[in-house]
Amino acid sequence: MKINKEIRQISRQMLRASFTDGQFDRGKIASLVQSLISKKPRRYLDILQNYKRLLRLEIEKRHATIESASELSPQTSSKVITKLKKKYGNDLTADFVVDPALLGGVRVRVGSDVWDGTVRNRLQRLQQQL
Amino acid sequence: MSSILEEIETKIAGLKTSTTKSNVGVVRETGDGVARIEGLSDVMLNEMIEFPNGVFGLALNLEETEVGAILLGETTKVSEGDEVKTTGKLLQVPVGKALLGRVVNTLGQPLDDKGPIKSETFYPLEKIAPGVIKRLSVSQPVQTGIMAIDAMIPIGRGQRELIIGDRATGKSTIAIDTIISQARLNKAAEDDGDKNYRPLYCIYVAIGQKNSNVARALNVLEREGALPYTTIISAPASDTATNQYLAPFAGAAMGEWFMDNGMDALIIYDDLSKHAVAYRQVSLVLKRPSGREAYPGDVFYLHSRLLERSARVKDEFGGGSVTALPIIETQAGDVSAYIPTNVISITDGQIYLETDLFYQGVRPAISVGLSVSRVGSAAQIKGIKQVAGKVKLDLAQFRELAAFAQFGSDLDAATKARLDRGQRIVELFKQKQYNPIPVEEQVAVMWAMQNGYVDPVPVDRVKEFQIKLQDWLQTRKESLLRSIREKKQLDQDLEGELKAALEEFKTTWQ
Repeated sequence: MKINKEIRQISRQMLRASFTDGQFDRGKIASLVQSLISKKPRRYLDILQNYKRLLRLEIEKRHATIESASELSPQTSSKVITKLKKKYGNDLTADFVVDPALLGGVRVRVGSDVWDGTVRNRLQRLQQQL
Repeated sequence: MSSILEEIETKIAGLKTSTTKSNVGVVRETGDGVARIEGLSDVMLNEMIEFPNGVFGLALNLEETEVGAILLGETTKVSEGDEVKTTGKLLQVPVGKALLGRVVNTLGQPLDDKGPIKSETFYPLEKIAPGVIKRLSVSQPVQTGIMAIDAMIPIGRGQRELIIGDRATGKSTIAIDTIISQARLNKAAEDDGDKNYRPLYCIYVAIGQKNSNVARALNVLEREGALPYTTIISAPASDTATNQYLAPFAGAAMGEWFMDNGMDALIIYDDLSKHAVAYRQVSLVLKRPSGREAYPGDVFYLHSRLLERSARVKDEFGGGSVTALPIIETQAGDVSAYIPTNVISITDGQIYLETDLFYQGVRPAISVGLSVSRVGSAAQIKGIKQVAGKVKLDLAQFRELAAFAQFGSDLDAATKARLDRGQRIVELFKQKQYNPIPVEEQVAVMWAMQNGYVDPVPVDRVKEFQIKLQDWLQTRKESLLRSIREKKQLDQDLEGELKAALEEFKTTWQ
């Protein structure tokens, strides 16, 4: 997909208009998309595609993926989420993934930040350093 | 056995393996040696980033939501969806004396079969050039051993002298000759135990060359015994554009180590036209806007920041120097194309090689009118200054008069003398490849020419006269040559001795 300057500008404006008080506003997003579809400006499909991508990136920034080798106990998971919310704000969403390949420990990813305390990561680093 | 286990255990205990924070992204697109990565919000410009399977990349384009990176190493191992990590490090290469005598790639990994390179020190590829406070003016010569260059276009340590010309006009040969000359001087000083001589170590960076050419250069250097003082960095035409783009910077980093440690280095970039082409490819696939001849806007800065790193620095900052001999290949003699004009304006002079001269048999085919050295006679020893001061003027006048002489039969005596002298100088400056002439012999030969000893010799026998004279001086008047070399100038005693020697030689010459 080739994105020109105009598309980038419009989709960025739409993204800026999608917030109320720094939080996503579902109603605003829906109305923005609806009005764009009804007006059908030039290359509106590309604009929507790019808008979708920007929204996805923005959502990823406020979403935590917590991976662990075995399922975490409810206390641990709630503790992790409260700590993350303290750091990233209250609108943070989270999901839990169980991946036995991690061998042990927890790996948390929020946006492009990653905290890796898994056994697999330690072993890999040992391998590199030795 | 148990000691090995203990050793490993202590090593493991010494390693930190706590939770690590890193910044990651996901490969969205890859191909042509570049990758576009989503995420990596904290990446720095020119930072090394790590792909899975041990592939590394360099972040060159930082955009709003994406990062454009070039890949080092095997590009086929990277695929869409791979997770990419920042490393917080800049790309660096091993430096030091361990690299002398070796053939390495852009990353400093050995390409020869002489085992791993044992180097403890690493330098970043990109480094800011020394500033005005650190620098010293250029005043020590680089003896290329090529008479025409040492006499008319002297090169000093810390200078940047461009070698420019069409394909197959002997550009690389000048560079190789210079390396051989340095090796001979280094070796002679080592054998004599001369502590005052500063050896000049050479780095030959082959960018986008045919592998066969690099192999030939390597063979020549090996045969002439120059390899122990030389590092060859090879990024041949079959290498990726990324490696070709980074190779000269790796060479500059290796040269800077010598400079920082009080030694002198000479770097040959062979050639920067192909370097610019490789950089153009990288820029275009990264979708950077293109400018004249489709080169990106920062191609001037690419070369200026590279060549600005050659310098001679003050003693308190290391006291060494890096001399650069960049090579540019022109198309049909066009020096006004984009890259040639850029590099001409960056360097401190150029050696211009002409196809016509080359085919007339004037080799090295140096065009005297178009070649200059902006450092001038500051980079010549006094002896050469004494004998070569007027040569450039003589030759320039000769070229002007030669045009007239084609018509006329009746020439006045002064013009005829000037023409005769010019023809003989041209003959004297012809020189076989891989055959650098020591500076004391250059002084002796040019003194003979200035004082009319060459004038009675027919033009077609001038070369023979010169070779016989050099041989004769080497075998019979070794002490005279040595005292010229040591005094570095001609005083009255030496001139008297030289005169007597030449009178003696004249009687044996027929």
